[in-house]
Amino acid sequence: MSMSLSLWGSFASCAPVCYRRNWRVANPPQDAILPHKPVLVAFVLLLASLLPAQTLERAEAFWKARRFQEANDVFRALVAQNPKNPDYKVRWGRLYLDNSQPDIAVDLFNEALQLKKDHAGALLGLALVAAEDYESVAADLAHQALASDPKLVEAQELLARLALEDNDTAKAAEEANKALALGAKSIGGRAILATIDWLAGKKDTAFDPHAARGYETAGHFFVINRRYEEGVQYYRKAIELDPELYSARSQLGVNLMRLGQDQEAYTQLETCYKNGFQDAATRNSLKLLDSYKKFDTVQTGLIILKLDKKEAELLRPYFESEMERVIATYEKKYRIKLAKPVRVEVYPDHEDFAVRALGMPGLGALGVTFTSATYGSFIAMDSPSGRPPGSFHWASTLWHEMSHVFTLTLTDSHVPRWFTEGLAVHEETAVSPEWGDRLAPPVIMAIKDKKLLPVAELDRGFVHPTSPAQVVVSYFQAGRICDYIDDKWGWATLLAMLRDFGNDDDTATVVRKELKMESVEFDKQFLVSVEAGTKNVVDHFDEWQKRLKQVNALSKSKDYDGVIKEGVAIRDMYPDYVEDGSVYEFLASAYLAKDNKPAAIDELERYVKAGGRNPDSIKLLSKQLEDAGRKKEAADVLVRLNYIYPMDNDQHQALGALWMDAGNLAGAIAEFRAVLAHNPIDPARSHYDLARAYQLNHQPEQAIEELLAALETAPGYRPAQKLLLELTTNEAK
Amino acid sequence: MKLFWLLLLAALSAPATTFYVTISGLGGEPDYEQRFKMWAEDIDSSLKRAGGDSSVVTLVEPTREQIRARFAEIAKQAKPADALVVMLIGHGTFDGVDYKFNIPGPDITGAELGALLDRVPATRQLVVNMTSSSGGSIEALRRPARVVIAATRTGTEKNATVFARYWAEALRDPAADADKNEAISALEAFHYAQRKTADFYESQKRLATEHAVLEDTGKGEGERVPSAENGEGRLAAAFPVVRLGANAAAARDPAKRPLLEKKEQLEQAIDKLKYEKAAMPADAYKKQLTQLLLELARTQEALDK
Repeated sequence: MSMSLSLWGSFASCAPVCYRRNWRVANPPQDAILPHKPVLVAFVLLLASLLPAQTLERAEAFWKARRFQEANDVFRALVAQNPKNPDYKVRWGRLYLDNSQPDIAVDLFNEALQLKKDHAGALLGLALVAAEDYESVAADLAHQALASDPKLVEAQELLARLALEDNDTAKAAEEANKALALGAKSIGGRAILATIDWLAGKKDTAFDPHAARGYETAGHFFVINRRYEEGVQYYRKAIELDPELYSARSQLGVNLMRLGQDQEAYTQLETCYKNGFQDAATRNSLKLLDSYKKFDTVQTGLIILKLDKKEAELLRPYFESEMERVIATYEKKYRIKLAKPVRVEVYPDHEDFAVRALGMPGLGALGVTFTSATYGSFIAMDSPSGRPPGSFHWASTLWHEMSHVFTLTLTDSHVPRWFTEGLAVHEETAVSPEWGDRLAPPVIMAIKDKKLLPVAELDRGFVHPTSPAQVVVSYFQAGRICDYIDDKWGWATLLAMLRDFGNDDDTATVVRKELKMESVEFDKQFLVSVEAGTKNVVDHFDEWQKRLKQVNALSKSKDYDGVIKEGVAIRDMYPDYVEDGSVYEFLASAYLAKDNKPAAIDELERYVKAGGRNPDSIKLLSKQLEDAGRKKEAADVLVRLNYIYPMDNDQHQALGALWMDAGNLAGAIAEFRAVLAHNPIDPARSHYDLARAYQLNHQPEQAIEELLAALETAPGYRPAQKLLLELTTNEAK
Repeated sequence: MKLFWLLLLAALSAPATTFYVTISGLGGEPDYEQRFKMWAEDIDSSLKRAGGDSSVVTLVEPTREQIRARFAEIAKQAKPADALVVMLIGHGTFDGVDYKFNIPGPDITGAELGALLDRVPATRQLVVNMTSSSGGSIEALRRPARVVIAATRTGTEKNATVFARYWAEALRDPAADADKNEAISALEAFHYAQRKTADFYESQKRLATEHAVLEDTGKGEGERVPSAENGEGRLAAAFPVVRLGANAAAARDPAKRPLLEKKEQLEQAIDKLKYEKAAMPADAYKKQLTQLLLELARTQEALDK
C-alpha cells in the first residue's frame, strides 16, 4: 500500500503551518475540458463571458464547467492581484485538489495559512488531502477547521467519514448528525448515515442521499471494507446520476479491475483519462492494463496464475504447488470448500503491484487480496524478483493473502480489518515457525512505551495510523492476539469468532460472546502475555543495540575471538533480529575465519531457524553442510531458500545435484527444469543434467530429448554424447 | 575475410605461446584495492592452472615504467604466431578525448597502451579493459586482428565496475564453455561476464551503470550484442582464452586423421542443418539432427579409444 511518509507538523498550537507532501507534482492541465451537457456548457460560458474579467465568480464558473486551465488562469491572475487574500488561494487549492494535484493544493493551503493562521478553508483543504492518504492528522485538521468556523459543514462531514473509516459506527453517526444539524441538506452527512445502514445490510434507509457524491461515498466504504462488488454497484449509481463525476467513474474502473473485469475497467478509466481526469490511480491503472500483454495466464482447476512471461516458466511450478498446498490446508482448517477460482497476479515490477494496492488503507506492502461472490478472489503480489534477494518471503506472503481469501469468503467480507489481518499473520507462522515477520524494533518500542491499541480500536492502527510504524505494530499485535486466542481457547474459538464477525457482530460483542469477558479485560490479559513473552528483548534492547555496534567494529578489525565472545553474549538478548548485520552472521563469519566449521554451521542453523533470509548466508550453510557430508540437510536448506528467492540458477543447480545424490529424482527434475526455465548461462550442461535425472528416473524418451537439446547447442559435448549412445543402444536392444 | 581465416588457422593449428598480462590498478581505498587484487589473482590462478604453452604475468599496482618494461620484454619474446592477452582491472577515467588507466604515479593513456601492444609481434591480440570508463579506450586500442572488450559502453560510464569479477569467474567456470569444445573463447567469456554483470544489477535492484561491449573488426565502436548482423564477434569466437582439456592431442596422431576429418564433416553438416532449421518441417529437422549427432558421438567415441 502506498503509505505516505510525509511528516506532518504539530497542529496543536494553530501556529502558521507549512507542509510538504511526498508526491510527484504533475503538470497543470493544458487542455480545456468541455463538459458533455451542451445546454449547461452554453449557460456556464455565457455566464463567464458576462462577468467582469478575473473575478472569483468567473474562476468558479470555468471550474464548474471543468475548464480547469481557464479556471487556473483566472485564479492565478486573482492571486497576483490580491496576494494578501487567503480565500483566493484556498479556492485555487481546492481547484487543484479537484483536479487530482494535491501537492500544489497543499502549497496553496499552506500559503493561505501563512496569511491567516486559522483559515478554516485552508485547514479543511489540508484535512481533505490528509484524509485521501488515511493520515491520522486529518481528524485534527478537521477539528481545527471547525474550531475556526463552527458552521463549516464539510469539516463536520469529514469527521463523520473518518470515524466510519475507523469502523467506529456510533461516532460516525454522531458526527454525521452534527453535519445534518449544521446543514439539513448535507449530502456527506446523509451519505454516512445511509452507508452505515447499507453496510449493516439494511437496504431501506431514511438517509438515501439521492446524489452522485453520496453514492460515491457509499462506494468508498464498501471498497475499504473489502466488499468490492457492492462498492462497484454504488459507483455505478453515482455515475448514472452524474456521468461527469470522474472520481467515481475512475474508482468504478479501479474496482472492476480488482474483480478481474479488465475490459470494462479499461473503458471506464479511458473515459476518465480522455475527459481530463488523470489522477495517479487512473493513469497508473491504464498503464498497468496496457502492460498485461506481457503476462501469461494459466489455469489449473481453481488456481489461475498471472505471471510475467519472462519468469512464468520458472515460477509456475513453485506457485502452483504452493497454491495446492495452501488450499488443501485451509479448506480443512476453515472448513469450507472454495467454489470460485483464485487468481494470483505476480508482479516483477513493484510499481505495478503498487497500482493494484493504490488507495487502500493499511500497509499492503507485500500483497493484496480482493474477493467477490460472483468473480472469485484476486491476489496481487510482488514477484520474488521484484525485491532485493532476501527482503521478501513470497511463500509466506502467499499464505497470508490466501488466508484473507478464506476469511473474507467465510464472512462474505464482513470481518474487521484487525481480525482478518491477525489471522493472516497467525497463518504465516502456523505453516512454518521460520516464516512470518520477526519481532521488529518498532514493535519492541511500542511494547516498551505501552503503545499497543485496545482490541476494540485496533482497526484504527491499520486505517488511520499515527505513524507508518503503527501499521507494522498493528499487524504484529493482531497476529499475536490470534496466536494468544489459539493457544488459550483453541482454533475452534477463532473460527467461531470469524462466524460472529460474519454476522456483523462488533469486536466487543464477539470478545464477550466467545472469550467470555469484556474487551477491556481481554486487553489486560493479552498485554500481560505479550509483555511476558517479550520481556527479555524489551529489557535488553538498548544494551543489545550498543553491543551490536561493538560486534560490528570487532568484525571489521578481524578480532574474531572478540566477535565470538561478545556475539555469543548478546545473541539471545534479541534472537529475532535476522536483518542485515545479524549477530548470527557475524558469529558464523568469525567461526569460519577460525576454521571452526561445525560452530559456523550451528550458528547459521540458528539464523535460518530464527527466520534469517539472506540468500548468501543460507547458501553458505548449505555448502558447509554439503562439505560436512550432511547432504540431505544441505538440500533442505536450499528448499527453504526457494521460498524466499527462487531466481538464482546456481541454487537450483546445486539443489538438483543434491537431490540426485539423495535419490530424490522428482526433486532433481524439478530443480533442473527450473534452471532451464531461467535462461541458463550453460544450456548444454543444463539439458544434460536434466537428461541424467530423467534417465535415472526411468524416463528414457525425455532423457533423449534433453540430450538432443544439449547436443544441438554443443555438438561436441562428450558426456552428453556418451549418454546419448548409451540410451539409444539400450533402446535398440 | 582473408585475415580472419589466417587468424583462425593460426589459432587452431600451429603450437604457439599465449602471453597473458593481467594488471590491477590503483584502488584508491582499501576496499577497492583488495577487490582488484583479488580478481587479478583469481585470473592469474585460472591461467596458471590451465597450463599449456603460456606465459602468465600479473602486475599489481605497477607504475607506468614497470608496464612499459614488461611489454618490452614480451615484444622481444613473442612471434607472429603467438597470442597476447592483456587484462586491465581497476579505475579508469575519460575526459572526452583521452582514456587513462589509474596506476601509481602518472596514469597510462589508452593511446600509449595501444602503442605498447602494437610493438608486440603476436598477431592475435585480446585486450580486456575492465575499468570504469573503459569504453573510452576502444578507439585507441582497436585495430585489425585485435579483440577489444570494454566493461563500459562509453567513457562516460564512470562508476566502479563489477565486470572483472565475472570475467575472472568465466575463466574458471566450465559453464562459460557454452559449446563444450573444452576451450573458453573470448566471446564465450564475454557473454558469461556480461550476463552475470547484468544479473548482478538486476538482483540488487540497482540501475546498471556498466554495459560491456566487444569490438573485433578494428573499426567499430563496440557492440553489446556481437552478431553476424553487426559483424562483431567472429574473431573473438575463435580466440581461446583458456583451454580446459587436451583436445588438441588427437590432432597430432596421424592414425586418427580420417576420423578427425569425418568429425569435422559431421560438425559442418550439423551447423548447416541448424542454419536451415527455420525452413524445415520440425520432424524432418529432428530426425536429421538426431542421425548426425549420433554419428558424431560414435565418431568421437572412436577417436577417444
